[in-house]
Amino acid sequence: MTHSPTTPPMNADVIIVGCGPSGMAAAVELATAGCSVLVMDMQPAPGGQIFRNLEANTRGRNPGSKSVLAALGPSYRAGVALIERFRACKGIDYRSQTTVWEVRPDGTVGWLRGMEAGYVRAPCVLLAHGAMERPAPFPGWTLPGVMTAGAVQTLLKAGNLKPSGNIVLAGTGPLLLLLATQLCHLGVKPALIGRTDNFSHSLKAMRHLRGGGLSPVIKGVGWLARLKAKGVRTVSGLTHLAAEGARKVEAVSFAAGGRRERLPCDLLIVHDGIVPAIDIPNGAGLALQWDQTNASWRPHTTTDGLATPALPPELEPDHCAIRITGDARRIGGADAAMAHGRLAAQAILAEQGKGSGITPQHRKAVRKALSVRPFLDTAFPPGLSASLPDDATIVCRCEELSAGTLRAKIHAGFNNMDALRGETRCGMGPCQGRNCMVSAARLIMEAHNTSGPVPPTFRGRPPIRPLPLGALASLTGLDPRATELLTLEDKPEHDQEDKAHDPAE
Amino acid sequence: MFSSLSPITHGVTLYLDGQPLAANRGESVAACLLRAGVAYNRLTPVSGTPRLPYCMIGHCFDCLVEIDGVGNQQACLTIVHDGMQVRRQNGAASAVEDPTP
Repeated sequence: MTHSPTTPPMNADVIIVGCGPSGMAAAVELATAGCSVLVMDMQPAPGGQIFRNLEANTRGRNPGSKSVLAALGPSYRAGVALIERFRACKGIDYRSQTTVWEVRPDGTVGWLRGMEAGYVRAPCVLLAHGAMERPAPFPGWTLPGVMTAGAVQTLLKAGNLKPSGNIVLAGTGPLLLLLATQLCHLGVKPALIGRTDNFSHSLKAMRHLRGGGLSPVIKGVGWLARLKAKGVRTVSGLTHLAAEGARKVEAVSFAAGGRRERLPCDLLIVHDGIVPAIDIPNGAGLALQWDQTNASWRPHTTTDGLATPALPPELEPDHCAIRITGDARRIGGADAAMAHGRLAAQAILAEQGKGSGITPQHRKAVRKALSVRPFLDTAFPPGLSASLPDDATIVCRCEELSAGTLRAKIHAGFNNMDALRGETRCGMGPCQGRNCMVSAARLIMEAHNTSGPVPPTFRGRPPIRPLPLGALASLTGLDPRATELLTLEDKPEHDQEDKAHDPAE
Repeated sequence: MFSSLSPITHGVTLYLDGQPLAANRGESVAACLLRAGVAYNRLTPVSGTPRLPYCMIGHCFDCLVEIDGVGNQQACLTIVHDGMQVRRQNGAASAVEDPTP
């Protein structure tokens, strides 16, 4: 670690944001090669969402751990070895329950833990912050009792809770079916699984089947067989989903097979696939691209995960310190995330003159793990979010703005993202656009009557997560040499909003 | 809406709007409140409608509560501790503290 009079001191060789499969795999690889690694993660223990609370559950600390482990099966336990290796690595400074509220392309990271906050720096920052469930607005999606499949799985893994009452699952994707089988294992029988995908999607997906990608497919067929054996009712081609109720969900209505139906419901579990979480890359001013197949943005990166700054020239660093890996870069699941985490780590080591370099094996492992994606993408296309919501449906959950309100403002001339945000507060609430951004962009596209790439995101600005004033006032790690040049040139009026992101490669 | 997989054995006690509530050590405030069956974590500042957690991984911000005197804390990201004071948020906070107890 070196520092000249013009550069602030470095806190580590590499900072990793996120401690899921990709972050842990990269950290182990880097630390083993002699790097000092600082890992920051929001959760209390390593594992990410997929291996959430795995350490505590395997040690049987939580009372219901045994039944959780049995229900979640081998894909959950698969994380034990990696977590153990991560814990055993000497060169890793692991900081749990730490929120990242700013990342800069020069390698500066703003963090918050409790009421303490500060900046840390490294010559390389690896973003491994993962994915989120695709936001899918539908009537009633803000009612208490509507939750995502990921939320329910988190409560199983880390809350010792299982759902009860009338449970309906609706949407698409492997996670929806996996969760349904896990619930059945725990003796919880859902009233209905409403799949937005249908037989023609599965048929079309068949041509993407490859030998290497067969095992996830076999797993999926097993889940479906188990659900059938348990007598769980399943419909496919579901549309017009709505949650009904005054102060909580009381019923769910939908259309399937040309018929409208209404069922009593206490818990509506929805899932429309997962997408890369772009909050950190967007806040860091990194280039994003629109991925048409997955109807989502993802960061623009090289195969080795190097990100591309999209800042005004006067703010652009000489060298981009940020790489992105795992589901945050491209959705691929745990195996792909670990494989790419290792590859990204080797790319970083090569830059620092260490390690054995990226081998063909590293690349092959990533390719193999991703080989099932074309099948999954075709079999489970976005469903709940396939069409834009009607005027009465809330799009921005925080500011409670309906699609109708946004459409009216777009027609009145607020037809670029930042103008729409400034006029309506869409994306200005606590979630900072995480749940409404993609819908707002699609509403603008609808008004422009185009089917091309969607407009850019809302411009991200730090702090991208709430930072208490008290913590801000006692910020550590401030360095006058790292003072950022402030400019008004990047205000929306100077922006070329009409310039859409490049389409994905 | 949710029930425990097993009873709480070596738990901690937190206080929800002044009332004691048992929680498993190491769990999130959001999980504890869902077990208790609360009708909402917060009433929205815009229309006063009730919200419960939606995503449970820190993206939706619907689980916001006041914890140990600090408002707008993400209940899904905050781990319970003994004696923790949790208050549900009823609409927008006022700039001046309410003088009535």
